[in-house]
Amino acid sequence: MSIVMISSAAHDVGKELALSLEKKTGWPSLSRTELVEEAREHGIKLGRLETSIIKSPVVPERLAKEKNLYLAFITAILCEKGKGGNLIYQGRAGHLLLPGVTHRLRVGLMTPGEMRVENAMRDLRLPREKAQVYLDQLDEDFNKWVRYVHGVERLDPAQYDLFVNLHNVSLPNISATLCSMAELPDFQPTPVSLRLMDNLDLTARAKVLLATHELTRDLDLGIRAVDGVVTVTYMPRQEGAAEAILEVLQGLKGCKEARCTMAETNILWVQESFSADSENFQEIVQLSRRWGAAVELLRVAPPAQRVQGLPEESHGIERIPVQGTAGGTYTGGVEDDSFESEGEDNGLSHTMEALVSMGRSAGGETIYGAKDEIIDKIRGESNCSLVVLGDLFLEKGREARKRMIRELSLAIRERLKAPIITADEMSSRFLFGKKQAIKLLGFAALVICVYILVFSFQKPILNFLGGEIHEQWKWLASITVALFVPFVAYCYSAVTGLLLKLIGID
Amino acid sequence: MHHLAVHFVDINLATGLQVVLLGFIGGVLSGFIGSGGAFFMTPGMMNLGVEGVISVASNITHKFGKAMVGSRKHGEAGNVDKKLAVFVLGTAIIGIQLAVVIASKLFREGTGHGAAKGAGANLYISIVFATILLGVALSMLSDLIKTSREPEGGAGPSTRIADFLARFNLPPVIHFKVADTKVSLWVILAVGTATGYLAGTIGVGGFIGVPAMIYVFGVPTAVAAGTELYLAMFMGAYGALSYAYQGFVDIRLTLLLYLGSLVGIYLGVYGVKVVNEKVIRLVTSLIILLCVLSRIIAIPIYLRQLGYLNIDPGWDRYFNLVSKFFLFASGISGCLVILFYVVRAYRQRREMHRTLQFAGGSPVKRGEASPA
Repeated sequence: MSIVMISSAAHDVGKELALSLEKKTGWPSLSRTELVEEAREHGIKLGRLETSIIKSPVVPERLAKEKNLYLAFITAILCEKGKGGNLIYQGRAGHLLLPGVTHRLRVGLMTPGEMRVENAMRDLRLPREKAQVYLDQLDEDFNKWVRYVHGVERLDPAQYDLFVNLHNVSLPNISATLCSMAELPDFQPTPVSLRLMDNLDLTARAKVLLATHELTRDLDLGIRAVDGVVTVTYMPRQEGAAEAILEVLQGLKGCKEARCTMAETNILWVQESFSADSENFQEIVQLSRRWGAAVELLRVAPPAQRVQGLPEESHGIERIPVQGTAGGTYTGGVEDDSFESEGEDNGLSHTMEALVSMGRSAGGETIYGAKDEIIDKIRGESNCSLVVLGDLFLEKGREARKRMIRELSLAIRERLKAPIITADEMSSRFLFGKKQAIKLLGFAALVICVYILVFSFQKPILNFLGGEIHEQWKWLASITVALFVPFVAYCYSAVTGLLLKLIGID
Repeated sequence: MHHLAVHFVDINLATGLQVVLLGFIGGVLSGFIGSGGAFFMTPGMMNLGVEGVISVASNITHKFGKAMVGSRKHGEAGNVDKKLAVFVLGTAIIGIQLAVVIASKLFREGTGHGAAKGAGANLYISIVFATILLGVALSMLSDLIKTSREPEGGAGPSTRIADFLARFNLPPVIHFKVADTKVSLWVILAVGTATGYLAGTIGVGGFIGVPAMIYVFGVPTAVAAGTELYLAMFMGAYGALSYAYQGFVDIRLTLLLYLGSLVGIYLGVYGVKVVNEKVIRLVTSLIILLCVLSRIIAIPIYLRQLGYLNIDPGWDRYFNLVSKFFLFASGISGCLVILFYVVRAYRQRREMHRTLQFAGGSPVKRGEASPA
């Protein structure tokens, strides 16, 4: 039971491959064309979104919402179709859908250019040259779409499990290869991957419902669902939003509990083990108070824990039954259904409860893996203004841990350009402590001295800047201005920044 | 050669405080609107009796230091497309140089004496200021009205220009990776020169540069703001060096502006986070319109000083007063609206942290924190 996601380009053989695989396996198949049609029937203005992304990268806020709605809509359909068992999906960037689900086989196709040109000539009745230009333009548009909608490069090899060059391999053989690969234990569902799919499904349905309901469609929301608990964050300016959200969500199938937190933004806190008594927790809460932010917890568990759910056929790996594991790592309020007990989730649920009691919770979940999984997770966080990397790589020594966290931070920053800091940096960057007080006093003293000097010696200074002295030393005057002004700006901005930080406006 | 020091205004406590206030309001507006705030500070200083060219020079110098601090932060967030900045900067420098030459020529070649000296430059700056910003304000208002009429209440800016230009790929076309856009070199040349010219003439750069990058180049908003600030740092440095070389920078004004602006900018940025986008655009366009009106009211003074208008010099006082009134009314009312939202959100943030939840069908309130 696995999901084969075939990513195809225009006028390649993705469709034929999906058909061939469908015939060979008897698995149901779904194409992007069908999804798009269904999305249009539900009033999603995909054409406008595509035109906007392709023709101009200026995508208005409203269309960005349309993008989220479209993604949620197709995710909900894919989850629904994929829940029953196997599924073959073929379409644009198919490999990037259902992120994190491990029982999907992500397939990329490299169709020879000549074959695509001939297909385009045949399908569109174009002469060769025009067909070539048309395909080049289409590929470029396609790349833009993938970059905007999914935030990655279309041909990034890290996003595929298998990339097939059709130059030397026939379609039936590829189809046979995919059949075999899909049977591998690596692509079989585990309790964790099924639970993740349930979460994706509920999140997607909650997003679609809230984005289309008249009471909530104009709100800016952050939505997350874990094990039947839907957590929604809304902006402080959206008065009365919480009541409306709860009213709408009451009709959502599978939603056992809903939580609405008012927050201007989210802080994503990534750790292996959480504790509401830790220093990191206190600092995160302090920062969230300053920013009016909600805190989302992301527990990182070793990848080994994920494969605990592999089927019996897998060699040497213990199988955990799928049935009766609807619950999950997140345990806030739904302990009966949880997959891990509170003690086993390394303090996640306890910390979550502490945040809920403070009105700061934006949900939380566990991911299994390391760098790539964390990056995948953060990529989907549109409402997150800071990522805090806390205690990670706990099995390593102190120095190694520091180095690995720093490397992870650099990798995330490089690939996602997300604002990211380590927990150690938090107090110096965002909070006000002794160091900041000393810095404030030092800079304030310096600024006061500069101002006193300038206003005590106005006449000679003006003479130097625009009087007789200036006539003789024009270059010196301009260089002095160019050096002095940024110095004052830097010192004074440090003073104002620290002062505002002290009173909680930053 | 003239002894330029005589053109620097005397700064007493009252004038100093007014400049700090101008800086504060300019900072709030700048943080809120996303421009440099020069549209308010430059005429504001002119209304305090500071020569137009000295107002521009001191403000562009102030902008240089501010941009240096700001662009560093944007750079850390990955919002700066340095390649795009280099291309725009190359052409912007031509624009700035053109502006500096025109402004100083008009200032030095003025035929009047006393107050009339510099009237030519003042008139020229006022006309450019009023024309450009009137265009910006009206297009913002029209965009706002149009989007408000849309059944879905769309809030995004128009993409007509970017769509239109995307049809012509006049070579050479340059690809900017960070901004993820392709733009013809000729379009960059035109926009860069215009931005530089306006930055050098009225100290307004971001007002033109940011929308141009968004609407004309198709650059994402965050990258447009970050790149513009990075550009502003170099343009400000070049403008500051040029004006300082000409002897027009009053460092006291620059320092006083900093006192207010660097506090105000934080509050303005905070305001953006808590105010509805339509309100932001409405407040912005109304503030600009009032500023334009204020400058237009001051134009007869310069026309009279240049001998183009025959009116009693005693009227100057009234024109100046009304002009000042509109300027301060626009800035102060805009600033008050923004501060109202800031204070409201700040209080709300402290008093209303809560998590509402339902479980088993009935809503329950949790996590209501007492005021901090």
